[in-house]
Amino acid sequence: MSAQVIADPVELEEDLLEELRAVVGDRLSTSAAVREHHGHGEGFPGVFPPGAVVFAHSTEEVSEIVKICAVRKVPIVPFGTGTSLEGHVAALRGGVCIDLTQMDKVLNVNAEDLDVTLQPGVRRKQLNEYLRDTGLFFPIDPGADASIGGMTATRASGTNAVRYGTMRENVLSLTVVLPDGRIIRTSRRARKSAAGYDLTRLYVGSEGTLGVITEITLRLYGIPEAISAAVASFPDLESAVNTVILTIQSGVPIARVELLDDIQMDALNKYSGLDYPVQPTLFFEFHGTEAGVREQTETVEGIAGEFGSADFQWTAHAEERNKLWQARHDAYLACKALRPGATVYATDVCVPISRLAECIMETRKDIDETGVLAPIVGHVGDGNFHLSPIFDPNDPEEARRVDELNERLVLRALAMDGTCSGEHGVGLHKMDFLIAEHGDAISVMRTLKMSLDPDNIMNPGKVIRV
Amino acid sequence: MTEMLKAETEDQVLDTIKWAAAEKKPLEVRGTGSKSMLGRPTELDHVLDLSALSGVSFYEPAELVVSAGPATPVAEVEALLNDHNQQMAFEPPDLGPLLGNPVGGGTLGGLLACNLAGPRRIKAGSARDHFLGFTAVSGRGEMFKSGGRVVKNVTGFDLSKLMAGSYGTLAAMTEVTVKVLPAPEKTRTVLVNWAKDGIYDHDGTKAMTEALASPHEVSGAAHLPAAVARRSAVDYVAGGGRAVTAIRVEGPEPSVAHRCEALRTLLAPLGETEELHTENSQTLWREIRDAIYLAADQERHIWRLSVPPTEGSRVALQILEGRPGEALYDWGGGLIWLTLGVAPDACANVVRQHVAAVGGHAMLVRAPEDVRDRVSVFEPQEGPLDEITRRIKDGFDPSRILNPGRMHKES
Ligand SMILES: Cc1cc2nc3c(=O)[nH]c(=O)nc-3n(C[C@H](O)[C@H](O)[C@@H](O)COP(=O)(O)OP(=O)(O)OC[C@H]3O[C@@H](n4cnc5c(N)ncnc54)[C@H](O)[C@@H]3O)c2cc1C
Ligand SMILES: Cc1cc2nc3c(=O)[nH]c(=O)nc-3n(C[C@H](O)[C@H](O)[C@H](O)COP(=O)(O)OP(=O)(O)OC[C@H]3O[C@@H](n4cnc5c(N)ncnc54)[C@H](O)[C@@H]3O)c2cc1C
Repeated sequence: MSAQVIADPVELEEDLLEELRAVVGDRLSTSAAVREHHGHGEGFPGVFPPGAVVFAHSTEEVSEIVKICAVRKVPIVPFGTGTSLEGHVAALRGGVCIDLTQMDKVLNVNAEDLDVTLQPGVRRKQLNEYLRDTGLFFPIDPGADASIGGMTATRASGTNAVRYGTMRENVLSLTVVLPDGRIIRTSRRARKSAAGYDLTRLYVGSEGTLGVITEITLRLYGIPEAISAAVASFPDLESAVNTVILTIQSGVPIARVELLDDIQMDALNKYSGLDYPVQPTLFFEFHGTEAGVREQTETVEGIAGEFGSADFQWTAHAEERNKLWQARHDAYLACKALRPGATVYATDVCVPISRLAECIMETRKDIDETGVLAPIVGHVGDGNFHLSPIFDPNDPEEARRVDELNERLVLRALAMDGTCSGEHGVGLHKMDFLIAEHGDAISVMRTLKMSLDPDNIMNPGKVIRV
Repeated sequence: MTEMLKAETEDQVLDTIKWAAAEKKPLEVRGTGSKSMLGRPTELDHVLDLSALSGVSFYEPAELVVSAGPATPVAEVEALLNDHNQQMAFEPPDLGPLLGNPVGGGTLGGLLACNLAGPRRIKAGSARDHFLGFTAVSGRGEMFKSGGRVVKNVTGFDLSKLMAGSYGTLAAMTEVTVKVLPAPEKTRTVLVNWAKDGIYDHDGTKAMTEALASPHEVSGAAHLPAAVARRSAVDYVAGGGRAVTAIRVEGPEPSVAHRCEALRTLLAPLGETEELHTENSQTLWREIRDAIYLAADQERHIWRLSVPPTEGSRVALQILEGRPGEALYDWGGGLIWLTLGVAPDACANVVRQHVAAVGGHAMLVRAPEDVRDRVSVFEPQEGPLDEITRRIKDGFDPSRILNPGRMHKES
């Protein structure tokens, strides 16, 4: 998070702007407010504004914009909703930011084949509202109401990953504008791609560094016949984590399981007006047939009981469920509210499930010793959890302690065969951790980047240094 | 004359590839090395034989992952997992017999390099979705490691996914890690037995679509026309001399029994239903997984069509119109194994034309070498897609020494 950031913005010449205006008309802005809004993501201080922001309306327009920039080797930063957490959208070298929020149409829902094709600016909540009457839904739900384009570009996940996977498993095909402005479709409508290298998965998680995603085909799911949610609190953190581990190892097809420690529960109670015990807690959700859901719920209740939970409570009531998950999604805001004016930084390690208890317990001890306010939440079913250190960015001493806490956390996770980023991505801030984690693979990634974007114009300075 | 270069260790793989890159000597990358491999035939002077890199190197049942040398037989990994009631959920097929080779010859590295998956793909995903990490040597002679043991990570470009399905053309893997899951306790299959005569491919598609749209968590949906069904070792399937649609559910006993019952009720209006229990189910789905019904007649060409599931039977029947051959449908109709009588071009134009019309693609799986040399085995790529493919290949393997020409004709 503290890596030296060197900004080196290029000047945008007036005739470049003229050419862009010829494509997008007045959907181009060079106003300071608009540029600054596009020059930073969530949760990290510092603004790196692009030289201009264009609001694209179609794949063809994006293609024209990219061609105009490519000729002059002007940097391009694609922009979804700017909720990414690692400085992904910072325009380190200025250039042109392509804002995709106005490309927000759902193009085609294919109910029989369970897929949907849409533009990148569609937001996840908008998509599910659109799908409401079809009996289908899209399960990936990062805490923010992000754009599907941004979620694809960051390979996002959410609370449903154990059962439904992440963007990686749920993107079927993409239309991409390449760094030279040409347009490709990565695979055809049929699911199985046997035609060549898996370009779809290469672009999922490419963080805007290999091209602009302008159309996405996603896999959809039938809304389960039955859904129930449950809450259980535990005498200590370890018991909660062990409940999760045993649940996963038993193969219960659980849809969601989220861990919240006592500090986070306190924050949630205050922010969302709830009155859960201030103890380490698990939120569960079960999907399936009536019988299946009952069976899963009973199995997990049994496991939670073995680990000392005395208050396992479940509900099939949609309203209560929604309240529960809204509270979970508001965890970040609840943290912010704990200390007004402070910044919240979200760490993002992921470890093999069998090491999860060990990793969380050591981390909690470290937090206590460091004296930083840092609640723990996590999509623990896949070994992923976040600390949310709440600190004053203007207090260098406190910021340093948070930095060091995060660094120790990452090294701890790597030592356990884990990763520095389970879902938030690399962006600007994790490039050095990526080197620590991947070593030689960095050079392979760099070669790949240079093969596909030889002039390094696509979101330069992110993921890997060229 | 082909020279075998057998690597005993990871470092020897590295040395061999460095040598080949420097000398510009193309290598055929081979797991256990069956000669007649999938893809375009390549005639290379040197074979990089990885068969010594065999054996499971890491397996903790509690961790739900397994790491192994690339040449570890899939059968060995499966036996080990089986001892702990676990499995690779993507249901690795053994296509040996279909291709005229013995049973159980496939390796884990080859399986991942070809990105193969069985009937459960519709529920559990493909090999690549379970492929967590690997160590490999690129065509530049660089050893690198990607991914790891976690099920979720977003750390740069997803190299595992790029390796899956690359047919050894980007890098030679020296160790692979895959995710494993608890095996289901019970399996049941609902059979729809269609009437005695006639063609029921469209009806089968309809039954599969209905079952897959139901909330019963179907983990396999296949349709066997009568002539195909007759070759099953399962009496219930072969005995009636009828076309059969098969729908599978898996899980704990009570839930499986319940879902099986519900599916029978759902499908009853379409035709007479029957159910298979665990053992018969396992036999049937193994047969479907390996397309074993099509193995006996080694003369015919075999195509593997990927199409939108609801279009499957229409496409297959159009291609088969006036041509000798048969179809086996898996993945709810989205995967079709199609045999066709011998033709100099394996009917590639006809096949590809019909498949392209619905946005699908076709791969020529079994045909004599000269046919596979003439006809594009994989769906041909054009324009910028083809160029990107070449650029990726150049990035990993600029001297084009790893399986050159295996996927696409070298220009
Ligand atoms: C359409 C189709 C056709 C098939 N045809 C055949 C066939 O003719 N004969 C046969 O035996 N099996 C065939 N298979 C089956 C499949 O290859 C096996 O199931 C798989 O397990 C291969 O194992 P193998 O050890 O034989 O690999 P190989 O046949 O040696 O290799 C398969 C592919 O994987 C690559 N590969 C192998 N090991 C590595 C590694 N360590 N690193 C990088 N790449 C590697 C190879 O270069 C090759 O491209 C076919 C499969 C399909 C889908
Ligand atoms: C409160 C909160 C909770 C969060 N919870 C989660 C969580 O649970 N799980 C999770 O995974 N993430 C989470 N995030 C992170 C963030 O929401 C995700 O990274 C999200 O996917 C970003 O989408 P976006 O539309 O905001 O993209 P942006 O931030 O606009 O862009 C992200 C990156 O993608 C690129 N990009 C955007 N659109 C395109 C496109 N069309 N083509 C090419 N590149 C593009 C950008 O250049 C940038 O590099 C959370 C963030 C917040 C603030």
